[in-house]
Amino acid sequence: MKNKNVQYVTPSGLKVEGPTGLNKPRSQYTPFNFVNGLVFVVVCLVILVPIWKVLIDSLDLTTGYGVKLVPTKFGLAGYATIFSNPSLLRPLWVSVYTTVAGTFLGLALSTMGAYVLIQWDMPFRTLFANILLFTMIFSGGMIPSYLVMRRIGLTDNPLGPILLPAINVYNLVLMRNFFESIPKSLFESADLDGCTPMGAFFRIALPLSKAALASIGLMFAVAYWNDYTNFKLYITDRNLYNFQMKLRDMIQSSDLPEVAGGATENTIRNACIIVAILPFMLLYPFLQKYFVKGINIGAVKE
Amino acid sequence: MASVVSNGALRHEKKPLGMRMRKYWGFYLMFIPVLAFVAVFHYAPMFGIRYAFYSWKVVGDPKWVGLANFEKLFKQSQFSVAFANTIVFSVVKLLLNTGLAVVISLLLNEMISLKFKKVSQTVIYLPHFMSWVVTASVFSLILSPSESGLVNQALIKLGLIDEPVYYLADKGWWRVWYYIINVWRETGWQTIIFMAMLTSIDPGIYEAASIDGAGRWKKMWYVTFPALGNTIITVLILNLAKIMNLFESVFVLQNDSVKRATNVLQTYVYYQTFNSGASADYGYTTAIGLFRSLVGLALMLICNYASKKVRGRGIV
Repeated sequence: MKNKNVQYVTPSGLKVEGPTGLNKPRSQYTPFNFVNGLVFVVVCLVILVPIWKVLIDSLDLTTGYGVKLVPTKFGLAGYATIFSNPSLLRPLWVSVYTTVAGTFLGLALSTMGAYVLIQWDMPFRTLFANILLFTMIFSGGMIPSYLVMRRIGLTDNPLGPILLPAINVYNLVLMRNFFESIPKSLFESADLDGCTPMGAFFRIALPLSKAALASIGLMFAVAYWNDYTNFKLYITDRNLYNFQMKLRDMIQSSDLPEVAGGATENTIRNACIIVAILPFMLLYPFLQKYFVKGINIGAVKE
Repeated sequence: MASVVSNGALRHEKKPLGMRMRKYWGFYLMFIPVLAFVAVFHYAPMFGIRYAFYSWKVVGDPKWVGLANFEKLFKQSQFSVAFANTIVFSVVKLLLNTGLAVVISLLLNEMISLKFKKVSQTVIYLPHFMSWVVTASVFSLILSPSESGLVNQALIKLGLIDEPVYYLADKGWWRVWYYIINVWRETGWQTIIFMAMLTSIDPGIYEAASIDGAGRWKKMWYVTFPALGNTIITVLILNLAKIMNLFESVFVLQNDSVKRATNVLQTYVYYQTFNSGASADYGYTTAIGLFRSLVGLALMLICNYASKKVRGRGIV
């Protein structure tokens, strides 16, 4: 049979001629699409089941669970214990204030550093950039860092885990990439109108990079909230532990607070995990685009 | 420089350094805090590297020993185990994560229902925001050999094992689960960069391929996959440069029964310094750290060179 040419329209609206039959609209319910969908159902389950198991165990007042995906004996005693016990509330508070203080300090240092690095004609600009970049490829190492921190009194001091991570060259470079995309002419005209560098920083650079501030601020906040290494290295005083440190202690040993209201040790352990992930799990659906943006400006930049 | 000085016209164009600096005085002021932080937290420790050539017990003063720390180091079997582990863990993890991320990105890209695609993306990015402590806590509860451990109980119910296995206390199983946990936490996040690449492919190329009679598989193989090639190489290079930093993910999953077999350089340094009481020697552990930093620097420079060759710009 002779092939008859017909006109058909491609998904993007292009009209082309071609033999019949080759490009008839395909059904969406092909075996491939079915299997592909199934793959992602499985992938999502693999990720969610461990988290779900922790969540239901945190709401279950019995210990012998086996394979169960709903609580046997529902109760909020695990959470009540956390929020009534000073040995758990204190670490939670440490986490909150180090995260808030660290995020602001980190953003301040990153934006100021980045703003200086986009002054192309400034003498010593390249030197400054190289001073920062060298720290990305070489470091003194864990022990020399520890000795310096001890020498300047930042061990067993909550300022240690706040100040140290605040200077993050990677985030500073991301911020610089953002600032670079602001048209130069804006800064030039501000300069002509008598605006000082600081003025241009607050009136032009920062207001035009709200999205960048949100993503880099979130990166800092997540890093501070999740910080374990810096606390492990520089804090030995249990009164200064953050929540991650406390959680780790509770999982490793039976260093558990007094159990209240019928909760078992297991209930409290699981409830602590949920409290540790709760802030970002709640924020995440609304701020996903900012979370994701950070990695894209870093990697896919031209 | 010479041409500037000998050429009067040029000298007039370029104002003297002092004057140019005065114009930027506000910026120098802004940079002082940044420089101060970098000096204290990054450069001051570099001066501590000299202790690699000293012996410095927890009590007492540093004592010059020359290269003795390095001689001791290369004789220690624990050190070579830790060095080998650092390389193996990082490389296997990197290949697994990247390979699976590519597969998942290609499949996500073929997804028909946009809503389900969005939901899947949201779910697979999720574990990345959980700290390593939380990740380790979740898995140590789930893998627990007690009757509340989900994995053991499920496998017993299915009849695959008779007795619960203490996965994280067994050298062999520990490695397997270390990779699984890393894939669970990081693979989804790695797809972001590949998805960004995929959405930037010109749909016209797919149309042209369809007109030429290419089916779904052919389009995936001949259009989508090659487009990812450069991104895959970039991701591998960027991550290879950082492999010596491995610490927290290993540290939080370790326990006493597997510590020796699963140490990486950083965890070895930690235990040698902070968990060995009075016998700890800051000099010796600084020497291990120096070795690690130098290998890291070499990798960085190699990867930087590779990056310049492959994509025309360095990584730092």
